[in-house]
Amino acid sequence: MKLVLNGKEIEVEGRPTILQIARKNGVKIPSLCDHERLTPFSGCRLCLVEIEGRRGFPPSCGTYAEEGMKIKTNTPQLRKLRQQILELILSEHPSSCLICSEKKECDDHKSTIRKVGETTGCVMCPNNGRCELQDIVGVLEIENVQFPALYRDFEVKKKDPFFDRNYNLCILCGRCVRMCHEVRGASAISFVHRGSDEVIGTFYDKTLIEAGCQFCGACVDTCPTGALTERALKYEMLPDGQSQTICPFCGIGCAVDVDLKNGKILSSRPANGTSLNRGQACVKGRFILRDVVYASGRIRTPKIRKGKELEEVGWDEALDFAARKLKAYKSSELALIDSPQMSIEDIYVSRKFARDALKTKNVTASPGFAPPSIYQSLLLDNGTLCPLNFKLRDISKARTIVLMGTDLTVSHPIVWLEVLEAVKSGANLVVVSPTELALTRFATQWLRNKAGSEIHLLGYLSKIILEQQEAPELKGIEGYETFLKSLGTLSLESTVKLSGINESQLKDTALSLLEEGPVAYLFGTELTSLSKRNMGALALKNLALMTSGQLFPLGLENNMRGHFELTHFSSLRDMKIDDLIDSVEDGRIKALYVMGTIPRPKKARAEFLVFQGSHENEISQKADVVFPAATFAEVEGTYVNIEGRIQKCFPAIEPLGEARPDWWILAQLAERFKLTGFKYKKSASILNEIQKNNFGLKKASAEDLEKGKEIFVQERERNEERPQFFPLEFLPVIPDVSEKYPFLMLNDYNLDVYRSLILGHVSRGMGKIRNSEWIFLCPEDAEKIGVENGDKIEIVSELGKMIGRVKLTNTVSEGIVKSSFIALGSDDFKSIRVLPVKIERG
Amino acid sequence: MTMEKIIHPSQLLEWKSTVLANRPHFNKTVVISSGTCGQASGSLPVIEALEKELLKRNLKDKIEIKITGCHGFCEMEPNLIVYPDGIFYKKLTPKDIPKIVEDTLLNNKAIPSLVFEDAKSKKKIYEQEEIPFYKKQMRLLTENNFKIDPTKIEDYIALDGYQALSKVLFNMTSEEVIGDIITSGLRGRGGAGFPAGKKWEICHREKSQEKYIICNADEGDPGAYMDRSLLEGNPYSVIEGMTIGAYAIGASEGFIYVRMEYPLAVRHVTDAIKQAKKQGFLGNSIMGSEFQFDIHVIEGAGAFVSGEETSLMASIEGRRAFPRQRPPYPAQSGLWGKPTNINNVETWANIAPIIRNGADWYAGIGTKNSKGTKIFSLVGKINNTGLVEVPMGITLKEIIYDIGGGIKDNKKFKAVQTGGPSGGCIPAEKLNLPIDYDTLAKAGSIMGSGGMIVMDENTCMVDIAKFFLSFTQEESCGKCVPCRVGTRQLYEILNRITEGRGEEGDIKKLKSLAKTVNSGALCALGQTAPNPILTTLKYFLKEYEIHIKEKSCPALVCKDLIIYYIEPNKCVGCLLCKKSCPVEAIAGERKQLHVIDHDLCIKCGACLDVCPPKVSAVFKYTGTKKDRLTKKTSPKRVKK
Repeated sequence: MKLVLNGKEIEVEGRPTILQIARKNGVKIPSLCDHERLTPFSGCRLCLVEIEGRRGFPPSCGTYAEEGMKIKTNTPQLRKLRQQILELILSEHPSSCLICSEKKECDDHKSTIRKVGETTGCVMCPNNGRCELQDIVGVLEIENVQFPALYRDFEVKKKDPFFDRNYNLCILCGRCVRMCHEVRGASAISFVHRGSDEVIGTFYDKTLIEAGCQFCGACVDTCPTGALTERALKYEMLPDGQSQTICPFCGIGCAVDVDLKNGKILSSRPANGTSLNRGQACVKGRFILRDVVYASGRIRTPKIRKGKELEEVGWDEALDFAARKLKAYKSSELALIDSPQMSIEDIYVSRKFARDALKTKNVTASPGFAPPSIYQSLLLDNGTLCPLNFKLRDISKARTIVLMGTDLTVSHPIVWLEVLEAVKSGANLVVVSPTELALTRFATQWLRNKAGSEIHLLGYLSKIILEQQEAPELKGIEGYETFLKSLGTLSLESTVKLSGINESQLKDTALSLLEEGPVAYLFGTELTSLSKRNMGALALKNLALMTSGQLFPLGLENNMRGHFELTHFSSLRDMKIDDLIDSVEDGRIKALYVMGTIPRPKKARAEFLVFQGSHENEISQKADVVFPAATFAEVEGTYVNIEGRIQKCFPAIEPLGEARPDWWILAQLAERFKLTGFKYKKSASILNEIQKNNFGLKKASAEDLEKGKEIFVQERERNEERPQFFPLEFLPVIPDVSEKYPFLMLNDYNLDVYRSLILGHVSRGMGKIRNSEWIFLCPEDAEKIGVENGDKIEIVSELGKMIGRVKLTNTVSEGIVKSSFIALGSDDFKSIRVLPVKIERG
Repeated sequence: MTMEKIIHPSQLLEWKSTVLANRPHFNKTVVISSGTCGQASGSLPVIEALEKELLKRNLKDKIEIKITGCHGFCEMEPNLIVYPDGIFYKKLTPKDIPKIVEDTLLNNKAIPSLVFEDAKSKKKIYEQEEIPFYKKQMRLLTENNFKIDPTKIEDYIALDGYQALSKVLFNMTSEEVIGDIITSGLRGRGGAGFPAGKKWEICHREKSQEKYIICNADEGDPGAYMDRSLLEGNPYSVIEGMTIGAYAIGASEGFIYVRMEYPLAVRHVTDAIKQAKKQGFLGNSIMGSEFQFDIHVIEGAGAFVSGEETSLMASIEGRRAFPRQRPPYPAQSGLWGKPTNINNVETWANIAPIIRNGADWYAGIGTKNSKGTKIFSLVGKINNTGLVEVPMGITLKEIIYDIGGGIKDNKKFKAVQTGGPSGGCIPAEKLNLPIDYDTLAKAGSIMGSGGMIVMDENTCMVDIAKFFLSFTQEESCGKCVPCRVGTRQLYEILNRITEGRGEEGDIKKLKSLAKTVNSGALCALGQTAPNPILTTLKYFLKEYEIHIKEKSCPALVCKDLIIYYIEPNKCVGCLLCKKSCPVEAIAGERKQLHVIDHDLCIKCGACLDVCPPKVSAVFKYTGTKKDRLTKKTSPKRVKK
């Protein structure tokens, strides 16, 4: 359609707003409440325009283009109107910094507005001049506010972690509220009261934690004034540089901008304009990235054990010592554990080191919280069960979404945003989860099943669909008969009894899967580790085949997919972590090289222990050699995210202290084994070698990645053209609770780690949100046992016991306890599965 | 006399005749007005006393008590009418009941002390229909409030209830219905006066599987209560009107959004919906036709802005009552994004009569561009406060002097505020203005929902403007800046002026800011908020100037600009004023001169109220300094 903007004829497509058209055509219209990801609000009234033939002054942000519209955006009348409206805003907003007569000197000579406060009194703006209101005051040339000040005198809210809320500076544009509600689905904040009492707040003025805030920081980043400001930045003044990195705290790999000062990271914010996270992040990428890099337990120098103590030494001494010691063991006595949080270059070199230097087959990955890798369950003899690559954005286009085995808002917050977008545009959301999640309130169907009944549930859904649907083409598919036969053993009665889901819920869910496509099946680690063998993945695959759906496997760690590509297609399969630790315990393995976390650290005490990592933990303290590894932010490295997207991360800062890249340390050691294949100058040369040797990472060319090209893992050949059903086995996975052990303990897969560091320990704020000590219990059970929030309790099972603190929550049902086995560091909980336990006071 | 569910239109007429034929015979029928207003004035104890008395005298089957909604004559509540004689008794207490039963009900004798007395002529008027307050009205919608027990659908059936719906469902196409409403010239009674038929037509033309009908009963203007009276007194007519509207535009679901401060209205309308469903006037296959429609009652939480249509819909959807930018209009994208037709209570109540009596009949009432009647709530300094229903085109003078009985205490008329906080003040020189949508707008005010606040000479126009601004700035939803901050700044300026801190240039500031708020605000609440200022500035500019320049309030209202003063040569030293002073600001002994300490005085006026009329020593002066006193007033006579 055609319209006229300030006398110029313009051709537009679709149905954009006038503001969008203006921006696209370089016409500047001041605006404070509009945001590209939010629905129009039309509250600030600064973007008013004139449209020929239309009464009054419609706001350009909320007025959609129509054929032949004649729009004027900058008449004297509009300018005057905007000026007076802005003056009204300023009459409520402590604004001495905006219209101060010293402003020019201040801007020219001082690095931060706040500093001027010492002499002129304008101490109000805590936002280091990053202020849209200030910009607009400049644009509209406001020099004076003719109205008396009507400041509101609110108390600054400081009780919550990470950021302060000073609503005296708030202009009520509502961007934070809408961001929280529309984009994040948290709805922790809202407008409260009306008229001149109106303010942004929480339900009954509770703290953000109580209000269900996820501390993603989206409100802080969208605030146009200094009302919401990151506390850690308060006294840091303006940054002197910017850089970009990739957040390593989950499988998504969000692009993150970092502010720098004197070579140090000041803060991190989600990068705008990236196709992946599109200006959004979560608490980890937004608020604790810097804390991880500068954590107090950061290892900065090599150390070796001399006598009883670990002593700081130079690199050569440490490397020589380690090489000498390692050489003394037989290959079968050596073992190496790497981590899916290392870059593919690091993992490649570590595997090469194990093969060529240690010559050992005792290799595995640090389990993190996801053993076995979700991708292992998708592995078939002749390829993979389904394509492993996908596009995050495709989830938002799904009409039905099935989600199981993960607490998405915590485990993959950015994936949740895509799900929310689909739900907001009318998609069905089916959630299968024994515990209540933040997102279950968005579910059209929430199957609150008993843990361990997942395969029965999926199997029975398949059965209903097969009975409902008259689809002769399904019968022709390979494996149909055996699949049907395997379902034969499944009765309605047993499914209902085992899962706790009634018949009508099962039917409704099955029908909703048939109703509207495409169906997206999102599943996480909990499903694959709760089901025996790869039954979880097979059951979903069968369903997907019947409902023309796509599987979206959601791996946990930032480079789990890359690790999988590098390690799981070789003839050599990884050793099981439990077997490896057992071997250490019984002395078959004598020397252990660890580059991440391991379960049962107390029992994994090998004769000779090398620890390579960036943060101290229980293992590093017991090690004989400690190598300081640089973090993600300090070195170049390549990572593969859950989509299969290969991303290159460049160093934002110099390595701290003597820390070095993991590959460098391993290569230096290899040289001491007199090996020649390790003479890498930079990480790019390793990537070149990987490219040549690895099928999946064939396209990962360093040059292309540096250019920012979108590159995905090359998929293995699959039997996609030849669809196939798989017979299911309904194996019992949940041991029965007994009188002695009346509770069922589930593992919490959410707890975040970065290699050897538990993120909950890194900052006080993070500890308040997700504490590794927490053992989740519902209030009813707590009352029965006689414990309260924060009480120390002991969880006892047949395998042993562990200690933690009660965290009351309504999200778990009666009879269920939830906690993280590994984070609590229990030596006794060997296998990460569901366990019957009892609770005793600690 | 209940009826089975109606599945054929003929059954409706049968039902009506059955109702009429089976009415038990009573010697007398006592109709008691007991809407919220009646109950607040004490109608419930009166009813209780009457019931007891009848029981005591064993008259239960001879005398009928009919409890109805509001009769409109608030000033005279609680009142009752004895039929068939039509005798009107006013301001009753339970003590009056035995005498009424004895004299009037049993012995056909009227009681002069309880009947209405004309304020001017002092003439006693016995019959309700003869009272001037009622005589000049044209009660198309409110008349049935006398005849209907709002909990009994049979009463409505007996008055041709649901016959319009029957006609529509079985004899008219939706286009014909819309055509009738267009021809009738009915304009929306919610305020802006958009032609109802046209609005229906737009919504009718929208293609959508789902459409909605909304009845806006979120009546929020200070002093306006006609919608409440209709919903309480005759909820059936609103439901019938909505059902006809739903048929016309093709909606299958409707909502009545009523504020929760109207519990009786909520009860009656909820009950009426239940009865309608039972009898087949709502639900599937209405009266045996293929049409289906259902109504839900939604209670608002009491924000003024919820009466704005887009925020009302947000509130129904469960969101905060924020208005949104239009277009798209509700007819295109309303409730849950579906085409929605929204009209207010009074508009819906007009529909059934129009269909029943014909569009031409309706178009014959009123002025060229404003048809039918309009209900006004006549309040303020007027003798007969109440709800009045008058034909469009009647003059202000007729309403105020003929129906309203003139200004209280024989004071001088100063202005009338129409249209609530969005309206404006109309001065005495416009008393002959024939009232319709266009003339009011031309005078700078609006019809609005029909509030009419009469002000006498003792009203300060700056203070009135301040009152309305304090209301709008408190009720601003806070979404847009011009309304949230602009009204607050306007209020601050007015406040400054009334406190004697007015500055040169304030009037210019008021005008300029009023323009910004008017052109910048998002919804009608903000856009019209400056109207009370603009009209008072237009008609009473001088009063503003006196406030600002002379720091005095000619109407002796603005507390900071007046003082109370005891004339030394009149004071007899009776101690009455001293005793009544809540802050002990009056000094003096028995038989000695009393003096007010102006530093302590809070200007409550208690001294002036108690000073005996014989003495009349207390005076109110305006001006900040004694030597600049510009005006004084004689004390109000207070009868002890």
